[in-house]
Amino acid sequence: MNHTTQHSFEPKIIAFVCTWCTYAGADLAGTSRMQYPANVRVLKFPCTGRIDPVFILKAFQQGADGVLVSGCHPGDCHYIAGNFHARRRFAAFRKLLEFIGVDLNRLQFSWVSAAEGGKWVEVVTDLTEKVRAMGPMVEFKELALEEQWSGVIDTPELKEAYNAI
Amino acid sequence: MSTRVPDTSIYFAVTEGIRAEANRLLSAGEVTAIVGYTTGRRTGSSQPIIVTDADDTARLCFSVTSVNNLAVYLTKAKKEIPKNGKIGIVVKGCDLKALVGLMGESQLKREELYLIGVPCVGVLASTVQPSTELTAETIAPKCRECDAHLPSGCDFLPDVALPPLPQLDGKYTAEIARLEALTPAERWVYWKEQFAKCIKCYACRQVCPFCFCEQCLCDRNKPQMVDTTPRPSGNTAWHIVRAMHLAGRCAGCAECERVCPMDIPLNLLNRKMAKELKELFDYEAGLEVNDKGPLTMFTEKDDQSFIK
Repeated sequence: MNHTTQHSFEPKIIAFVCTWCTYAGADLAGTSRMQYPANVRVLKFPCTGRIDPVFILKAFQQGADGVLVSGCHPGDCHYIAGNFHARRRFAAFRKLLEFIGVDLNRLQFSWVSAAEGGKWVEVVTDLTEKVRAMGPMVEFKELALEEQWSGVIDTPELKEAYNAI
Repeated sequence: MSTRVPDTSIYFAVTEGIRAEANRLLSAGEVTAIVGYTTGRRTGSSQPIIVTDADDTARLCFSVTSVNNLAVYLTKAKKEIPKNGKIGIVVKGCDLKALVGLMGESQLKREELYLIGVPCVGVLASTVQPSTELTAETIAPKCRECDAHLPSGCDFLPDVALPPLPQLDGKYTAEIARLEALTPAERWVYWKEQFAKCIKCYACRQVCPFCFCEQCLCDRNKPQMVDTTPRPSGNTAWHIVRAMHLAGRCAGCAECERVCPMDIPLNLLNRKMAKELKELFDYEAGLEVNDKGPLTMFTEKDDQSFIK
């Protein structure tokens, strides 16, 4: 067996979940002994309304290959309307990311209630397999590695100017 | 493309109208200050001025270089303006949209403002010299797509009729359509190149009437959500956050794009978001005073086809 197969790509999935529904749903999946990929890292929030789009950006920058945002079904929000606000916000944010050039297949939104352990397993498995097939998210990682001027310091104009000194 | 020239001859009459009204207001004590434009040092240029004395009203003017959105002086720098009384402000149609947005967000009160409207046929792009004549080539991109040549609901509007305006094709609309037709990877390459130019001078933030937060998210370091150094990673995050925070609020005065020293097409992001919010929630910023914007309200029937 060669090294490449030993170190095959394991996607990192960050899940931003609301504590009242999806976290409890994930908990149910666990206590019910359901199997789902260990690639998902769950971050618990009070409500999907608390999840700022900048968290998603930060996740991608820090090396996430996929992001899942999940909360209560519409009408079930513990804070009455948090998920309604989140729904609008993320509808707009998706369009922005798409325009910037992020592949939206890496970003999944879902409603998973406290009773839907099975749906949580399904959502996480689907996203993990989708991202696994897509390969690592390199765009934001490459940005983080780049210095501001490293790409253009070798332009002919600059070299000419430098040689003229 | 039409090369007919927008007729700017009305700006003389507009200037006279502004001066007369400003003189009347300050003499009668109806307002404590007028925020307007005056001639700049370079030939043909103009710059913002705050007039508090009726004798100074002759310094006010309006020309093709009266580009600035003066609404910004009523939010961040408002401490510079006498607060004890009404303030008069010279507004173009595009600036009025910003004021309307600020009133909706409780940053300004209509009764504390005296709006001196300007019938506007267009202003110069920031890329040309101020002494240039206004033509279809030198007009600011935002004016090509302007739908508010005549600001509505002002307290005073100079008695000047708008000349017939040439039909110009929209540069933002065309550019957005061009980018939308590309693949995500190609768009990423485009924006990566644009954002790499950013030097994080935050001029776009400082000039924006809607960036009035006392402490910007991007200046906080506990937690540090956006990298502050001018490197590609933080630049991209900053411009995404900026576009997101202006979504549903920006009415397109394009000041961000004008002040950007690196010529990043910032208004393109804002126009794209405006277009999306119009399609998603049928909302257009700046048309009327609303307490709630599209992202601070909701309906139970909102689209959720993207949610599993």
